[in-house]
Amino acid sequence: MTDRASRKSNGQPGRVRTVLITGATDGIGLLLARAYAGRGHNVLATGRRVLADDQDLFDAPNIVYICADQSDPVHACSAIISAMQNMGWQHLDLAILNGATAWVGLPEQEPANGMKQLLDVNFRFQIHLAHALAPFLFEAAGRLVMIGSTATKKAQGRFATYTATKAGLDGLCRSLREEWLGRADVQIIHPGPTRTNMHAKAGLNIGLAKWFFMSPLRVASAIQYAIRRRDKRRVITRYFAFKARFSSAREGIL
Amino acid sequence: MKALVTGAAHGLGRALTEQLLASGHEVVAVDRDVEPLEKLAMKYRGACLACFADLQKVESIQNLLDRLQGSKFDLVILNAGISATGKFEEIPLQAYDRLISVNLGAPLHLASRLVGDEWMSAKSKIVFISSLSHVVGYPGGAVYAATKDAIASYAHSVAKPFRKKQVSVLTVFPGPIDTAHAQKHAPDQSSRSKRMAPEKLARLILKASRGRAKTLYPGGKTYLAACFGKLFPNQATRLMRRGLYDKMTGPSY
Ligand SMILES: NC(=O)c1ccc[n+]([C@@H]2O[C@H](COP(=O)([O-])OP(=O)(O)OC[C@H]3O[C@@H](n4cnc5c(N)ncnc54)[C@H](OP(=O)(O)O)[C@@H]3O)[C@@H](O)[C@H]2O)c1
Repeated sequence: MTDRASRKSNGQPGRVRTVLITGATDGIGLLLARAYAGRGHNVLATGRRVLADDQDLFDAPNIVYICADQSDPVHACSAIISAMQNMGWQHLDLAILNGATAWVGLPEQEPANGMKQLLDVNFRFQIHLAHALAPFLFEAAGRLVMIGSTATKKAQGRFATYTATKAGLDGLCRSLREEWLGRADVQIIHPGPTRTNMHAKAGLNIGLAKWFFMSPLRVASAIQYAIRRRDKRRVITRYFAFKARFSSAREGIL
Repeated sequence: MKALVTGAAHGLGRALTEQLLASGHEVVAVDRDVEPLEKLAMKYRGACLACFADLQKVESIQNLLDRLQGSKFDLVILNAGISATGKFEEIPLQAYDRLISVNLGAPLHLASRLVGDEWMSAKSKIVFISSLSHVVGYPGGAVYAATKDAIASYAHSVAKPFRKKQVSVLTVFPGPIDTAHAQKHAPDQSSRSKRMAPEKLARLILKASRGRAKTLYPGGKTYLAACFGKLFPNQATRLMRRGLYDKMTGPSY
């Protein structure tokens, strides 16, 4: 088998993969980075923070962190690509585009510059990065995974722009998946409400509702399960997260 | 009635503007190509105001809003839109940036400010233009489709908060339109006869904007295609790929 063909047969255990995870300094992204590193893969983790010592946060030698602020997509993407080149990565097995922010409030009160920034962080960056990663993903017959949100299922009067960006990613993946058929896999995963700091960062106090939210650990393992199953579009419900508990990922498996 | 139409110089926006003016309404016609609009303004002296704005630029949108200060609109049609077609990875990022600004950034900015600054009169309407691609997908126009999905979602979300301000929202999902824009992006084989004339589409939109409907799938063919797309989303996207993507020659943006 040629090198490229062996990379294509993704199911076989034991091979170290290259994994890129954006928004990996907190919440679901951080748990995903630790999980993939825990199974022995090489992880490139990105975020907006400047970390003095990233081992404090990640505590794994096979996670490399770089600062790539998504509010400047051009800059962030070139930082990510040069980091990949510096690490000698010529192909990419898995990219999880997870980093995002939210703004909460009535749509008529949303400041124009904040709106622009939200579109950059949650939507324009993802398009720029998918574009930049395409050759790396094609080389590995790898996968591009975008994180959406179940917010897109209903009208969200107080999260209109956030929800629009996630609906945009859903549509992007639907068409891109068809375009990339046979070259790389595209998946969109929509988590339900999860008990992370995302809401607090957006200025929303979720109060007691947090007990109805899913645990970030459960959601992170459900996302990995959906990735293993190669679901093209997966909504992470409580039931799906429960099912994910019965699937364990062996070492070396994505 | 006083209306605002963006992308008013050509295609659908032009047809909307002309029909509104012909039925005696006042129109603020916005485009970055103002010359054709100035001719209209001459013809309908006093009723048509031609306004320059480059909707790619936040500052230009801000200037437009400053210029319109104190207006009260009964109907706003956020029609301006551009496209970019071809293989996702072959279209340059600058084209995507333009697409995101014009198709998504601008309508969100305008809608939010027009309602927030109380420039919409009581019982007024905002019309967002999404696309049939929202229901059938669009391989070969993945980012275009993404902006149109985002706009459909935004329109759906703001309907309730805007209603509290007595502004209602209509979202239109047009299929292919027979304009210069469509000519440029359709593969050579696809025939003109399948596309709807902008004048006909404009009539359907203006009719719907007077009613209570929240969404409009204009025309029988569009409606049928939408039903198919809702029932069989995967097959619809696959068919779109075979019909468009597989026949594409090169990128166009
Ligand atoms: N939590 C939920 O209820 C929920 C529900 C549905 C979908 N989601 C989605 O799940 C994903 C993860 O969310 P989460 O709940 O884990 O949120 P989170 O805990 O706030 O984590 C978001 C991550 O993205 C990073 N980030 C934010 N803005 C950035 C920027 N401009 N540039 C680079 N990185 C940036 C954050 O950095 P910092 O650490 O510096 O903040 C953090 O690492 C998001 O896509 C979110 O939309 C969440």
